[in-house]
Amino acid sequence: MEKMKLKLLYSDLRPELEMIEKELEQAVDSESLLLNDASLHLLQAGGKRIRPVFVLLAGKFGDYNIDVMKQVAVPLELIHMASLVHDDVIDDSEIRRGRPTVKAQWNNSVAMYTGDFILARALERITEITAPRVHEILSKTLIEVCRGEIIQIQDKYKLDQNLRDYFRRIKRKTALLISSSCELGALVSGTDEKTAAHLRRFGYFIGMSFQIIDDILDFTSTDEELGKPAGSDFIQGNITLPILCARKDPEIYQLLKANLNKELSDHERLEIVGIIRNSSGIEEAKAMSERYLQKALRELSFLPKGPGVKTMRKIAFFIGKRNF
Amino acid sequence: MEIEVLDAVRQRTLDQFTEGPSVKESRLFFLLLPFFSGKTWSAEIESSAKTVSIVYAALHAHDQVREDNPISKEQQLTVLAGDLYSGIYYQMLVNSKNIAMVQKLATAIIQVSERKTSFFEGMDRSIAEVEEAITIIETELLISFYKFYGYTEYESLAKQALLYIRYADELERLQSKNYSNFLRELTSNLNHKNYVEHWLVEKLDNLHEKIVKSIDECSLDYELAQFLLHQITPHQHRAEQLTREG
Repeated sequence: MEKMKLKLLYSDLRPELEMIEKELEQAVDSESLLLNDASLHLLQAGGKRIRPVFVLLAGKFGDYNIDVMKQVAVPLELIHMASLVHDDVIDDSEIRRGRPTVKAQWNNSVAMYTGDFILARALERITEITAPRVHEILSKTLIEVCRGEIIQIQDKYKLDQNLRDYFRRIKRKTALLISSSCELGALVSGTDEKTAAHLRRFGYFIGMSFQIIDDILDFTSTDEELGKPAGSDFIQGNITLPILCARKDPEIYQLLKANLNKELSDHERLEIVGIIRNSSGIEEAKAMSERYLQKALRELSFLPKGPGVKTMRKIAFFIGKRNF
Repeated sequence: MEIEVLDAVRQRTLDQFTEGPSVKESRLFFLLLPFFSGKTWSAEIESSAKTVSIVYAALHAHDQVREDNPISKEQQLTVLAGDLYSGIYYQMLVNSKNIAMVQKLATAIIQVSERKTSFFEGMDRSIAEVEEAITIIETELLISFYKFYGYTEYESLAKQALLYIRYADELERLQSKNYSNFLRELTSNLNHKNYVEHWLVEKLDNLHEKIVKSIDECSLDYELAQFLLHQITPHQHRAEQLTREG
């Protein structure tokens, strides 16, 4: 439902997004029936397509040509998809968006090769663009995203980490790819450098806000709404902002410490989820997300007025208030 | 070159928890063969050769991911190591402004991933199709490099030798009952383990003959030829022994 609402916000882009959806399907087409099935399984699970949307919106500030924009939008979504299929192996996740993950439906090896295949398709496509700057940004982003994930594994089950560790992680894990989507969209449409820089920073701030909200929703949503067990982050040892804020309460700290890295029954899991949900951690995390949202909106205020800014603002507000 | 490749992809946490980047010596040998043979070789080609080895390391890392449940920290980092190496190969080629090579390697990775997945499809296919899949898995990256820089004269030799080394490894696996997906499919095609062994030994004999002939055709100098033969000789002795034993 909420995803529908979000899609309504960028309904102006519907024809282009439908085109991108078709291109995504073509991009994962393979001689291997299994790879085809696995990739389509992933694609059909849906998603918010937030990265292609930001590429297209950023393109509105320059010389917008959908044939050029899709050359960036499609690979960026493919890169995101490839990372999801590998993440599910890392997190040992059985369910994503309410459907079995590739690793659960087939196995870890098939998931690894599917991810490699999709990433290679992304690179094959993006190399149709010859502008070196595009590749400099994208390759740097890919490396930083991986480093972010490596750091996330390093930091797992460490309840005593500081806020800076968390922000460093989510910057690399989420914000950078959204920031690069905006910057690349601006670049290939030929905007001036100043506009591209504002769009890059907008993407970064909105990405940070988006991830914090995601981390909050892991505690405030139901299993059904999430399409996976609530509290999955905690179960997997990922210490997110709501936990970092809530741990200030010594009782909560002790409870978290006692249950980290422990096999939890559903009852125990839901109890912890409930305690975090009712703690001050959620409100503090929301305030932090709001701060990033305001910074994102400020970047928009420097951009030339037009439909692009209007839609970006609407999406930004929606992200700040979403509950899915 | 091996050290330079390892340095390019080094990462503290990965070094601590994973086996680290791994590229077979035989693959490095064939990547450098045109250089060793005195062919035109530039800084750009050298950099490309390094990136091909990094791609080999990336794909190798992902081959090491097992079906453990739940997955261990070492396995989690092995997944990320492969992804990181992929990012690094891309960035290295971007830095040397060689976008065309990024595209060639991406296409080769697609082919390799398709063939690796084919072993999980559970479809009936001929031995020739299985062989074709293994050949692509073992050689496609290298052949893309050769084609890109016009070193196609080494294509046959490289294919034969890399396939030889793969089959020799598979023979060892078979004898130690450490069955790979390839061996499982071969067994289901040939119906019995003994036939698989016989098939592999015959392949090794056949490839050995072809390799000797190709070395001659490529006019490899004496030392290079010896190095290459040395790589396959231990396996050849074993194959001959098995042939004698019937």
